[in-house]
Parts: sequence; C-alpha cells; structure tokens
Amino acid sequence: MDNNLSILIVDDELSVRDSLSNWFLEDGYNVDVAEDAKVALKKLEAFNFHIVLVDIKLPGMDGLELNRRIKSINEDIVVIIMTAFASVDSAVEALKDGAYDYVCKPFDPDAVSHLIRNASQSIQLSQENLSLQERIKSLTNIEAVIGGSEAILKVLEQVRQVADTDSTVIIRGDSGTGKELIAKAIHMNSPRRFFPMVTVHCGAIAETLMESELFGHERGAFTGAQYARKGKFEMADGATLFLDEISTISMKMQIELLRVLETKRFTRVGGNREYKSDFRVICATNRDLKSMVDAGEFREDLYYRLNVFAISIPPLRERKEDIKILAEHFIRLYAEQMNKPTKYIGKRALKALENYPFPGNVRELENLIERAIVIGTGDTVRLNDLPLDKYTSQPTWESIQEMESHHIQSILEKYDWNISRAAKALGVDRVTLYSKIKKYKIESPK
Amino acid sequence: MSLIRIIPLQFAHFDILEQMLSTISNRYGVECGLSSHHMDLNRFFDPVRSQYNANEIIKELLPMASGEDKIVGVTELDLFIPVLRYIFGQAYLGGSAALISAHRLDNRRYGLNDDPKIYAERLLKTILHEIGHTFGLKHCFQPGCTMVSTTYVEELDQKSDLLCKSCHLELKRLRD
Repeated sequence: MDNNLSILIVDDELSVRDSLSNWFLEDGYNVDVAEDAKVALKKLEAFNFHIVLVDIKLPGMDGLELNRRIKSINEDIVVIIMTAFASVDSAVEALKDGAYDYVCKPFDPDAVSHLIRNASQSIQLSQENLSLQERIKSLTNIEAVIGGSEAILKVLEQVRQVADTDSTVIIRGDSGTGKELIAKAIHMNSPRRFFPMVTVHCGAIAETLMESELFGHERGAFTGAQYARKGKFEMADGATLFLDEISTISMKMQIELLRVLETKRFTRVGGNREYKSDFRVICATNRDLKSMVDAGEFREDLYYRLNVFAISIPPLRERKEDIKILAEHFIRLYAEQMNKPTKYIGKRALKALENYPFPGNVRELENLIERAIVIGTGDTVRLNDLPLDKYTSQPTWESIQEMESHHIQSILEKYDWNISRAAKALGVDRVTLYSKIKKYKIESPK
Repeated sequence: MSLIRIIPLQFAHFDILEQMLSTISNRYGVECGLSSHHMDLNRFFDPVRSQYNANEIIKELLPMASGEDKIVGVTELDLFIPVLRYIFGQAYLGGSAALISAHRLDNRRYGLNDDPKIYAERLLKTILHEIGHTFGLKHCFQPGCTMVSTTYVEELDQKSDLLCKSCHLELKRLRD
C-alpha cells in the first residue's frame, strides 16, 4: 500500500536510521534519513516532509533545538521525539514547544505504528481542513461578484471596507441586482464566515408566522406548537442574520425587531426565559426606506438603527459595460452545466442585450442566457436565440459600404463563420468574402 | 530461474519447514527448498536486551543469495532491531534476504497449551509475509491479506496465508 506521506528520521546511530527507514518503507511511506540536525535542516529546506522523527540526543544541535527550528520553518510539520526513558522530562519539554508526541526507545512495534498512523490522520485532517477553508473562501469570494463597471467596483470596495467589521449593513437595489450575493460576500469575508448566514425572506413569511420564525417558540405556545423551536435570532448566534426585503415587515414587528437589535436579547413566543444571541445584521430592500419613513410606513428609529453602512447596487441598465462580462460568465456556467459547446456571444446578440432595459436586472440576464443555451446550437449565442428582436438597433447607416459591412457580419454570424456557406449566401466567392472581411476589419467573436 | 532458499538457523523443526515448501513455492511461483548453513548466532547476542540483533544477522545472510535468489533465515531465537522491542521478521524491501523469528509464535510463551498446528500456520504466514517484502510488496490494509502488518500473534491468527487481489496484481507488476 503506497502512502503519500514522507518521513524524515534524524538519529546519529546508523542502526536506528536503517531499522526505522526499513520499517516505514514496508509501510509504504517515503523515507529519508539524516545523521544530525544540520543535515536534517538542509533536507527540510529542500523537501517537504510531513513527519520528522527526531532523536533527543544528537551531536551538535540537540533534538529539542531541532524541534524548535523545524517549527519555525513550518509549524505544520509533525515532529515526534525519540527518547530513552531517562530523558522523558526533556521530551515533555519538547511537547511544550510544539512536538506532536514522543516515543521511548526501544519502541513497541505496535506503538510506533499507531503513533505514525495517528499523526498521518491528523495531517490528513488538517490538509482537508485547509482545503475546505479555501473552498469556503472561493464560494463567495469578493472576486466572485462579476462586473467591471465603475459602479460595481465601488460596491466591491464598500464590501471590502465593511466585511471585517460588525456594523449593520443595509443593501439597496432593484429586484434581481444581486443583493443576497453581496450579503453573502460580506458574510464570507467577515470573521463570522465559519458560521452560517441565516436568511429570513421577510416578504415571503406571513405576518402571523413572522414572530415565531424570528423569536422561536416554546412547546404549547399556540395551537400546533407541539415542540419547542429555535427562531432565526437564536440560530444566528455567532453568525450573520440576513433580513431580505426588510421593508415588508409590519409596524408591530418593526418595534419588536428594534428592541432585539438594540439589546440582542429576546424571549421565545410563549416562554419566559430570556435568550442572548450575538449576531450581525445585514438587511436588503428594493424600496427607498427613507421615503417610506417620510410616508410613515417605516419606523424612523429602526431606519437609523439599520442604516449604519449603506450599499447601493445600481440596476443593470445603468452599468451596461457589465452586460458583456456577465453574459460571458453565464454562458460559461450554463454551457458547462448543460454540456453544450457554447462559448461566445455574437455581436448582434450583445448589441440587443445592451439595448434592453433589463427590468429584472442580472437575474433576467441570467435567465435569457440560460434559455439561449437551451435552444441554441453551435458555439455562439446568436440574436435568434434571444427573444429581443425589437431591441435590435435599427440601421442608421448612410454609406453603402457601412451597410455592406454590417450585412456581411450578420451573414457570417448566421452561418457560424463558415466562410463557404456565408459566401454562397452572399452570392460571392470565398476569396471575395475574405477580402471584404479584411477590408471592413470584421472580427470573429472567437 | 530464481529460487527461495529456507535456511534454519538454530531452528529444530525441519519437518514443519519441509511441509510448507510446496505452499511457499505455489504462492510465489518460484521453486523453494531447504538449505543448511552453520552460523554462530552467539556473536549477535545483546546481553543488555537478552535478544539477538536481527540487523546484523540479516547482513550475514545477504551474500549467500546469488542472482535473483531469496534467502530466508528461520530461527527460534528472540530477535530485535535497535529501535523496536522485538520483531517477528525482517526483510530487505525488494532485496534478497529475510529473517524470521519463531520465538513469539509459540502458544506456550503466552501460558497456553502447545498447539503445533497454530504454530506452523503462524510461521508460514510470517515467512510468506517477509518473502513478499523481498519481492517489493509493501504492507497492505486489506483485512486478511498476508501482507497486513502484524505485531501480535492474535493479529497473525486473523490474517490468511493468501495475498489479496491488489497485492497479487502488484506482485505481478513488480515481477514483470
């Protein structure tokens, strides 16, 4: 059985080095040996060992000092101290300096096998832990928010500024602009990222259920409450509470919410015990809360409690330069999911998208691209694949040359840049078509 | 044509070794025979540990192998290697020599009744395991496989004298 772990044995006795390396080779480990600390440190610089077995008594630098040096090079390396019974106290000293464990020579064969096996498991767990942490980071990295416009870059800068703090954030943006994605980006880049982001879709919960949803309830609190249940405030302890569509909650709930936000204390419905919960609040709205306050529809005190750090996401129609980047991102995403060859977006299709006002914002663009990939063939999303005929820009060409250039481009796109077929459709030969492409500097989307 | 030579070194039960020759030969597809050789093992006795140094004995066995032959020393003496309290056996991984101690395979050592059948089975499994190492096989984690690493006789009793499928394939790959 081959093992990916590598072990370095540091002992001045040749017989010990030979015996141990042979023992570990039979177990399938990659093994190297060093006769003193100097050689060991050189080997550790050149190669990434997972486990180092160090004899406590070495000529020159002793095992204890070597352990400290190893830990300063890479604290993830597992150091196991080999010692005689007489020097157990020193071995315990090494444990305080970060050594994984110690074994007394001569070892029980079973003991050393177990020790190495446990160390391997601990290494594997910490590697797994690291890779999971990386995965969590990559799930909602700030960079995962797509867009290159000045407006979206400003939003991302605000996310970076506020993520590390515990401030309440209010995200304003039209429906489909990606408010929840921005909330996730804040949460995943905050110190609370290892806890979940607890989401409450305020608009989707009936008024009568909202109290129990947020505060939880005790058994028998109301008809049907057969079991006690934790509310979202309680579930968000240590985490982030995301209140989506905050503008939809009733005036009564606004009072309750304000009290909890100020004290971070609450009682379950039907209960007496007071619970404490440490959560950070991020809320989102597609309405202008200030004008709701002016109209008496939203409590002013709650508004000021929530409006600590405001992020406004501009609608897609105000950042047209993001449409191409987003469209290409969704093409990659859905083409991979559906196993389709689509890779590009045609110029006319892109023009139509840029002319479209996108009342449903990014969500609508995503749906349009998904649909286009379902119905489209070939490697390019064409105008025909989008239900946007009336948003095709009307020709405003004055010269015949301009008209000819656009006509050739549309025919080329229609035939997926198959020169022979496009030339046949245009009624010219391939050489003529090539020279026209060159003359009008028409570029393939690929 | 390679050959596995079993050499008793202070080991009285020739009959047990003779009975297992054909099994060893079948398992590895190599002719297997008994050879006699006199070696004074007292030279390798460590008075502090009251055991015999396996590292030194196996070094003496190594020059006895010619070509692709495998030399397997079997003794009733208690063997050790410097870092370990005891060993059942030792071999050069992908090498030509192995050494087996039957000292801790006997039930009587553990206060139980003599059981020659179990003793012979344990010895066969240990010999097959160490020969496996000389062919380059490493320890296996497939329960029951001969190449599972064992440090107690109870573990020895739990495994079989057969190679698992993956060790079998690995052996074939190593020998090709």
